[in-house]
Amino acid sequence: MIDELKIKARELLKNKQVDLIIGYQRASDGVLAMPCFVDREEDVDKLIWDVYCVYNLANYLKDYAGQKIGIIAKPCDVRSIVVLLQENQLRRENVYIIGVECSGVIDEKRLRLGAKDIQESATFGVKCKSCKSSTPSICDYLFKDKEKKGKISEDKDEYESVRKLEVRSSLERLKFWEEEFSRCIRCYACRQVCPMCYCPKCVADQAMPAWFSKGANLKGNLSWNLIRAIHLGGRCIDCGECERVCPVGIPLRELNKKIEKDIKELFKYEAGANVEQKPLLASFDKDDPGDWIK
Amino acid sequence: MIQKIVTKEELYKLLNYLLQDFEVIGPKELTNRGIFYETIKNPQDLYLGEGFTTEPVKKLFLNPSEWFFKCQYKDSKNSLEEIALTKTKRIIIGVRPCETKGLELLDKVYNSEYKDEFYVNNRNRTVIIGLSCAKPDRNCFCTSMGGSNVESQGTDAILFDRDGKFILEIITDKGKEILGSIGNEPSEEEKKHWQQDKEKRKDLVKTKIKAPEDLDKVFEDPYWEQVSKSCLSCGICTFLCPTCHCFDLVDEQRRRLRCYDGCAFVDFTLQASGENPRPTKKERYRQRVFHKFDYFKKNFGENLCVGCGRCIRYCPVKIDISEIVDKAPV
Repeated sequence: MIDELKIKARELLKNKQVDLIIGYQRASDGVLAMPCFVDREEDVDKLIWDVYCVYNLANYLKDYAGQKIGIIAKPCDVRSIVVLLQENQLRRENVYIIGVECSGVIDEKRLRLGAKDIQESATFGVKCKSCKSSTPSICDYLFKDKEKKGKISEDKDEYESVRKLEVRSSLERLKFWEEEFSRCIRCYACRQVCPMCYCPKCVADQAMPAWFSKGANLKGNLSWNLIRAIHLGGRCIDCGECERVCPVGIPLRELNKKIEKDIKELFKYEAGANVEQKPLLASFDKDDPGDWIK
Repeated sequence: MIQKIVTKEELYKLLNYLLQDFEVIGPKELTNRGIFYETIKNPQDLYLGEGFTTEPVKKLFLNPSEWFFKCQYKDSKNSLEEIALTKTKRIIIGVRPCETKGLELLDKVYNSEYKDEFYVNNRNRTVIIGLSCAKPDRNCFCTSMGGSNVESQGTDAILFDRDGKFILEIITDKGKEILGSIGNEPSEEEKKHWQQDKEKRKDLVKTKIKAPEDLDKVFEDPYWEQVSKSCLSCGICTFLCPTCHCFDLVDEQRRRLRCYDGCAFVDFTLQASGENPRPTKKERYRQRVFHKFDYFKKNFGENLCVGCGRCIRYCPVKIDISEIVDKAPV
């Protein structure tokens, strides 16, 4: 099955359709995957595709601006490519999307934490359980999964945990988030792993003026995490990478999902759904729910 | 060295008693979050199992957010107020041997020729009770870094979980003062068994690597570009490392702060002129490897790595420093 993907990759490199293919290869532990950058035909054999391919490789596209890149992308990853295209961070002709049909990837984070109760179904990422599509919305080549099991979505309410948080009082919510953010070590992995975080100079790195404390203290941590979440409003496509990589286990997805839900309810907008659509914060609509705009 | 057999109950009872005079810190498990060092109010909350803490014990000695002093300008006068050192005595329990080996390496920087008053103060006010590793994972490679998963390596005492009880080895006077009163002395036969057990546990560290003698000659090799391509330039590997110790000094609201900084960050070497001598991932990742396996070795005679495996376990894209160092094209 993987052979088809390799043949395609080899063909793309041979015909000089792309300069580089970003895909997955086996990690040193022989089980998990890691990103793989192939620019020579002889390296194509490194490529793999299975449930361990959790990473959103769209994040690497900014490293290769101006080059022709082939990228292996799951349906969720394709949504982030859509946002990058909407925001003019990427030229469509510069990216060759090798879309893969996906029935869910493993919950790498829980595997890392050594969860003892992992069963076959529980091994899939939380984001996969509410995933709506197993086929990428746009791609140049579709790699079909012949043993396709279909989407693993349990058709659960994707905002279930957000709703549970919403009904708490503001003080309770503050306490909850303060407890979570107090562990933040300010490694900025959440930012670095995010395809949507491409500011040339992040607000957290600015020194003159410094907008909030650089140290890993509650005040600075609160500011950082909230700014990160708000800045992704209308842009986050819920690939869940920030939550997956957070070494101290802050449930960042809850924040992202809350903003996503509000935007859906207020503006009927879904990030990464349609490449023709203008980005939410760059568009004007006379039916805007706010009165001030009229 | 004193050897004892201690039951869990005895240990918890003693810790309960010690809570009167000491701050007791140890690993605590947070569901779906990981294991973290926290101040313990009830010894039952301690996690003394096989899992490893996310953050190393370093964080309790080199504070990730250390305030040095605060200044004031009032009534046309400047004043400067030093931040008082914390004097509370504390016991840290459940520390892995690799983490204390990390402290011994940090001592070479912060507690030798130059003495960092915050670090030294934290060292002096702490008794460390270690916990030997019964289940190293495949990311662990302590034995390849001249360390061990069962030896004390700088702890004041060390516990070995065995058959639901603890075997306790007391190493220093500090350790004796705290733990001397509990437990029974093991019989000769038990001691023999235990020694065999220790040897067996050492063999559990399966990952073996060889750090090159001299990396210097491959400084310009394209290898570093290849292995760093997937690096995200985040701070996980440096912040979670028991030996990484680079910091940033910032003035915030008339206070001076020392906080962690790391060579993986893009801005780490950014100069005021706008010049950045380590502009790409290649230079930054190479720096991390070279500081650990070349520069530090040349300055202090040892690798600045204890093989705890945190940077591999928590790397968002599974970059494996042990493999990268082992396969360096020297």
